[in-house]
Amino acid sequence: MEQELKKIKFEAGEAIEKVEDKKSLAELKLSYLGKSGKLTAILKGMRDVPSEDRPRIGALVNEVRTFVEEAFSAKEQEFLQKELEEKLQNEKVDITLPSKGTKRGALHPVTSMTDRLVDICVNLGFSVVEGPEIESDYYNFEAVNTPKSHPARDMQDSFYFTDNVLLRTQTTAVQARAMETMKPPFKIIVPGKTYRNDSDATHSPMFNQLEGLVVDENVSMADLKNMLSIMMKRLFGEDTRVRFRPSYFPFTEPSIEVDVSCPQCHGKGCKLCKSTGYLELLGAGVVNPKVLDFNGINSKKYKGFAFGIGIDRASMLFTGNTDMRSLFKNDVRFLKQSR
Amino acid sequence: MKVTYNWLKEYVNIPLTTEELAEKLTRSGFEVEEICYQNQHLHDVVVGKILKIEKHPQADRLVVCQVDIGDKTTQIITAATNVFEGAVVPVSLPGADLVNGVKIQPTKMRGVESNGMFCSGEELGIDENYFEGAGVNGILILPSDMKIGEPIEKALSLDDVVLDVYITPNRPDCLSVIGLAREIGAILGDKPKKVNLSYPIDIYSKDTVHDYIEVDNQTENCPRYCMGAVKDVKIERSPLWMRARLNAVGIKPINTIVDITNYVLVEMGQPLHAFDQALIDGKQINVRQAKEGEKIEALNGVTYNLDGKDIVIADKDKPMVIAGIIGGTNSCINDNTKTVVLESAVFDLKSVRSSSRKYGIRTDSSARNEKGINLASAEDGLLRALALVSKLKCGKVVRGIIDKARGENKARQLVGSVKFINQILGIEIPASVMSKILNNLGIENKVNGDRLECIIPPYRQDIENNNDLAEEIIRLYGYDVYDKTDGVLFKNSPVTESVPNVRYNLERKYRNMLVQEGFYEIMTFTFGSNDFVKRLMLSDERANPIKISNPLGENFAYMRTTMLSSMLQTATYNLSVGNKEMRLFECGKVYLSKGDNLKNLANEPNMLAMLVSEDGFDFFNFKNVIENLLGAYGEVKLERSKEPYLHPGISADIFVAGQKIGHFGKLHPSVIRSYELPANSYYGEICTSLLISLPEKKIELKQVSKFPNVARDLAVVVDEEVEAGAMVDAIKSACGNLYFDCSLFDVYRSDALGKGKKSLAFNIILSDLNKTLTDEEIARVMNKVLKALSYRFGAVLR
Repeated sequence: MEQELKKIKFEAGEAIEKVEDKKSLAELKLSYLGKSGKLTAILKGMRDVPSEDRPRIGALVNEVRTFVEEAFSAKEQEFLQKELEEKLQNEKVDITLPSKGTKRGALHPVTSMTDRLVDICVNLGFSVVEGPEIESDYYNFEAVNTPKSHPARDMQDSFYFTDNVLLRTQTTAVQARAMETMKPPFKIIVPGKTYRNDSDATHSPMFNQLEGLVVDENVSMADLKNMLSIMMKRLFGEDTRVRFRPSYFPFTEPSIEVDVSCPQCHGKGCKLCKSTGYLELLGAGVVNPKVLDFNGINSKKYKGFAFGIGIDRASMLFTGNTDMRSLFKNDVRFLKQSR
Repeated sequence: MKVTYNWLKEYVNIPLTTEELAEKLTRSGFEVEEICYQNQHLHDVVVGKILKIEKHPQADRLVVCQVDIGDKTTQIITAATNVFEGAVVPVSLPGADLVNGVKIQPTKMRGVESNGMFCSGEELGIDENYFEGAGVNGILILPSDMKIGEPIEKALSLDDVVLDVYITPNRPDCLSVIGLAREIGAILGDKPKKVNLSYPIDIYSKDTVHDYIEVDNQTENCPRYCMGAVKDVKIERSPLWMRARLNAVGIKPINTIVDITNYVLVEMGQPLHAFDQALIDGKQINVRQAKEGEKIEALNGVTYNLDGKDIVIADKDKPMVIAGIIGGTNSCINDNTKTVVLESAVFDLKSVRSSSRKYGIRTDSSARNEKGINLASAEDGLLRALALVSKLKCGKVVRGIIDKARGENKARQLVGSVKFINQILGIEIPASVMSKILNNLGIENKVNGDRLECIIPPYRQDIENNNDLAEEIIRLYGYDVYDKTDGVLFKNSPVTESVPNVRYNLERKYRNMLVQEGFYEIMTFTFGSNDFVKRLMLSDERANPIKISNPLGENFAYMRTTMLSSMLQTATYNLSVGNKEMRLFECGKVYLSKGDNLKNLANEPNMLAMLVSEDGFDFFNFKNVIENLLGAYGEVKLERSKEPYLHPGISADIFVAGQKIGHFGKLHPSVIRSYELPANSYYGEICTSLLISLPEKKIELKQVSKFPNVARDLAVVVDEEVEAGAMVDAIKSACGNLYFDCSLFDVYRSDALGKGKKSLAFNIILSDLNKTLTDEEIARVMNKVLKALSYRFGAVLR
């Protein structure tokens, strides 16, 4: 019997190893472990084993049975694994096929630039303030040191409704409104639409400005430089530099134009910056004390600085767009590019 | 303003190239917009003399010329017919690159060598006004005394460099050669040279200016009026040097007297006017306000009807000049002029400005007058003109000038503070450096501790306070000082609180949500044509858009009263370029009149507008978008909309907390037809200005049952008019405490149900916090629901 058991163990091992499909394995299993299987027959023969040999033979029988069962189970597992793998192979999808569901749209390039600028400024302690677009001559011009017949009015051709009401030519109009109502110290930004009566490839009759105003006891041109430097770095990257050039605006004194190192060539000189390495992007300056006093802020105590940036132009520099008119044409094919 | 390099050099030492000068000017506030080299297209063109002309052996129309070009003789073939032996002509040699694009190289014409080309005036970029003979159709024949072989740019005085400088409105004192020279002197630390204002007087002649003219200055609007007289005038071509300078700055040379007035205008910034004395009735000049309805024919050929706000220069009875703007034809210089009286005056800038605007006349003269001229300049300008008359020998200057002045510009005292100026600038500039810079600018000053005691010269009306001084100092000190100042931000000021802007934040949230829903944001012009009023069938306040009085055109004249108008323009444009499907939105304002002629400006509510033109999109897709947007608000109700531009059956007004905040739906078929839109087009808008004042729903979290929910479907037949929303409300109240949720999942119509009937199928979910519901309990509730539906809506179980 012992002999037989060892033989069965050996034969079963060999046979299981050789089986090539699931069906033959099942048949083989039946021939060993089925009701009339070889191993089952042996088990039945245990009755005839002398009692003194029983523990030894019994242990051997168990060992052989465990071995055979595990061998079948391992082989079955092997077949299942193989089957699963084949199945997975056949279930492969083409991952480059298009996605399903609603496709995302896109923000307009100008608002997405506005959001960027607003985020930068809000993080620096600025509040977003707004004002009317149909504005009085008083707030648009007079309250910001540009009385009627001031030569600086030539710098801006306006759209008028009546002698005293116009489409605001600058978000500066909101500065005067803010000074009337807010108590210093304050920092505000005014994003919004502005209008001037000219139209060509670089001028749109409607355009977007973001104006900043800081009023406090101790702010200076150096703070302005610092602030704009941080703002432009956050917008165009850490290696961005800003440069001041003297200029003139009625509401600031001293007034400056601010050049920003070209975001495309980083100041080396390229087509975009006409080889100068810099692009003119902002107007700024120290608030003219006349403007502070006119709007009820004591210029002996308080100083201020202001800056204005053309959002459309900033967006164009950011995206390499060369035609301002494309921004207001709203061709879906154009807008899709910012998706 | 255009000035030339040589003209500037006449008045200040400039040890710099034009590029270096331009850079310095730009860095100190005078942006040089363009540098133009007059000789750019004149290299390799010289003065030559034709020695011999022979017929071309092979061509009847050509001649072969031997030409002396100074260092050698060269052979040139020409077809020109106005050349002759001995003629002095401009010769372009190999290498020349003429203004019309012609490049010269040695060539053979019908087998005979030609080493250049004779030039016409046009090919040199000049005309008859500039040089006699330059206008003829043929070769420019030069005066025979010109030096043979001399470069043509020298011979024709075309060797200057023109700078176009932008003068900011606060610096009218720099609208002249001497003004800019003074500024360059300040930049370079050098003093400008004096202008020659003197001229000899014939001591034997007894007559004075008063024998020729008298002036009565009758208006407050003329603070200074000076006049001089010139007799025995020769009206002729002015000398080449003067023509050259005028030509360089873009002024057409005319004749001696006119050229002198223009020359002084550019050089001194002082507009002059020359009268033919013989045409002045009564030898009398009256400076006065115009009479209502007075007429004048101006030099531009237009006749103007004047009014009392205009200033005129008149004689005994007729106006001869609109003061400071333009002269009249009735008294101008002409070929027969023998005696000239010259006006040099200052007029009220506001008057000049408003007259110039009113009549739409802009001249070099008005441009300067309306920016403000220093009173001293009137006298200097006149003396300069008389000195030039004398220099050009084009007349005899009569003794004396007339000077009718009302007051004078005086130098002013201004005390600045060194400390305050440094506070403004945020850097430390020593007082001594400030003092030196101001001194260079012609601002005499003394430092007295912190006090910076300045004498502001009369031509610097713009300097009034510490900030003005700070600007003068920093622009010459150099803004590059700030290249190294970055450090702690706002180091001397407290932190300010950033106050959230609720509307901007809400709009921003909505913009991002709509992008996720597949919408593209657009930004449109807020003004356009008013045809939308009719096409959208508007009849309320939106039917009267506010009109711009000076629009770019009738199609840009009206402010939009609804977002739909500009949105439809965008849609139409996209359709025209083949973009058939679109989901668009825009955040912007509409502009509504308050009916008070804008006395209190306009109502400008902020709107969020959406337009969808897409196959398969329907009312309920749109409803989903609206529900998602307004999810933060508790009570969102829809009612049938009466918007004229929406389909009456497929549209709804949106109510939040009982307030109407917008509407949406399918566009009315008439609108779709009018704008040629695809049939399946939807529009909706929400007024975000209104929305921000409404309460958002407060979220309270209740415990949910530990036991599973029970779902039951219920299909009932009702009349077509019954609205599903009301039925859901009824189901909710019938379920009482056990209600959890209810949704409509099917609407079915068929002949079997009958006409005007529909079947609605609801999925009702019940839940009890404390136990699993029994079949009996469920049956009881469902029965109650059915009874309620039957009682209120006549519903019959299907």
